[in-house]
Amino acid sequence: MKSKIITAVVALVIVVLMGMGYQSAAHHHGHEPAGEVNVKDLIFDHLGDAYGWEVPFNHSVRIPLPIIVWGQDGLHCFMSSRVTGGETYEGFKISTSEEHHGKLVQVLDDGSEYRPWDFSITKNVAGLFISAAIVVLMMMSLKRWYVRNGMKAPRGFKGALELVFDFVYTDTIRPIMGKHAPKYAPYLLTAFFFILTMNLLGLIVIFPGGANLTGNIAVTFVLALLTFIITNLSGTREYWKEIFWPDVPLMLKCPAPIMPLVEVLGLFTKPMALMIRLFANMMSGHMVVIVLVSLIFIFSTQFSVGVGAFTTIFSMAFSLFMLLLDILISFIQAYVFTLLSTIFISMAIVEPHAHEAK
Amino acid sequence: MELLTPEFGLVFWMFVAFACLYFILAKWVWPFIIKSMEERADLIDKGVAYAQEAKSHLDNAKAEADKLLAEARNEQADILREAAKMRNELIEKARGDAAEEAKKVSQAAQVSLEQARKEAEKQLRTEVGDLALRIAEKVIRKNIANDDAQRALVDQYLSEVETKN
Repeated sequence: MKSKIITAVVALVIVVLMGMGYQSAAHHHGHEPAGEVNVKDLIFDHLGDAYGWEVPFNHSVRIPLPIIVWGQDGLHCFMSSRVTGGETYEGFKISTSEEHHGKLVQVLDDGSEYRPWDFSITKNVAGLFISAAIVVLMMMSLKRWYVRNGMKAPRGFKGALELVFDFVYTDTIRPIMGKHAPKYAPYLLTAFFFILTMNLLGLIVIFPGGANLTGNIAVTFVLALLTFIITNLSGTREYWKEIFWPDVPLMLKCPAPIMPLVEVLGLFTKPMALMIRLFANMMSGHMVVIVLVSLIFIFSTQFSVGVGAFTTIFSMAFSLFMLLLDILISFIQAYVFTLLSTIFISMAIVEPHAHEAK
Repeated sequence: MELLTPEFGLVFWMFVAFACLYFILAKWVWPFIIKSMEERADLIDKGVAYAQEAKSHLDNAKAEADKLLAEARNEQADILREAAKMRNELIEKARGDAAEEAKKVSQAAQVSLEQARKEAEKQLRTEVGDLALRIAEKVIRKNIANDDAQRALVDQYLSEVETKN
């Protein structure tokens, strides 16, 4: 009974919010000529980074975030609220040009735009910090449970955390790594929970979430780079031998180093694949949802109310489906990244094959 | 394309965030959680092994108890048998003793009877002798009332008695 009431209230709130969103969107686009919804910009705005964090139902107010830039005349720090309205502050503004669209640039004396070293706490950077903090809090809470309750199995959310932890460590990392597991597990577990949190947080549309983190190539680039560095730093002699002098017929490696070339290429394609896979999966999930929502505006501005209403229901049903699918994908991609990293690292710490020992 | 070029600032902060997260978790959290979970897994494994052992012990205990019970029953039967035997022996012995005693008693009675009989015989003999003598005396007295010969015999006897004295 109680759960039914809660469900009804939540459903009502969602419907009201949808209505408000529709109205707000209709109002916002109302002054534009029909059919002028710029879907491409809309999508890329939502997928990209931003200075300041949007709040729901409002296109002008943003949560200000600190901007830290190293321009031609040194370090500048100020809040993003000084420039998000299109103003110029201390010679900096958010560019509207083709080259630096949406980025902070320094306007030089001759009027040209200079892109400074940008260490700003943008929406994505803030999202990273929030995700990291959430991971620390979650894991600390699990640790505290063990400290307080000793051998008792955790319940509720902590139990779920432990389940996931157990799945990743005991059932994945340990069987693959064997005795090396304790050495590499901290990196792999950190990567897994960080990616998972960022993935899930990206699905929440309002403040603490909404940053498209793992759908941003910079984030996946760093993660893949870390796996690449760890893999190659822990490579054994056998690993390097397999790359530069693999166990293949001589003609494949002696006059022309075909196989070594392929192997060296493989060194880079593996982390590259890691980077692209995570990025593309998460970004495309977000993109599909945004496109489905955009359909509402496209059809509503171009056709009658009836078509608009039908599209709304259709799009909402599909975005709900996509978001549910994204929850699954969030977990799968975090797991796949960890699993492949584990495999790459364990392939780098190989011992000589048995047939070479004899 | 903007989406495919990593932004320098984000790469930098991602490094920082990941490094901090790694440092905190690797130092304070992961080893502890792994240790706790492995300890618990060990505890559960041990618990299962212990339970199995206890169960087998219990099963054995039942068999052992049955064995003990059977042994006790056997022993009880033995003791009872022994007791019965002993009782029979006792009765037998008592019976024998009693018979012997009775024999002794009857023997003693016979002896005393014999004695009494002998005594009685003796007395009877004496009395019969006396009686006979008395009868004889009477008979004799009548026969020899006026007989000088008899007087002479009496005198002889008297004199014999006198000489003896």
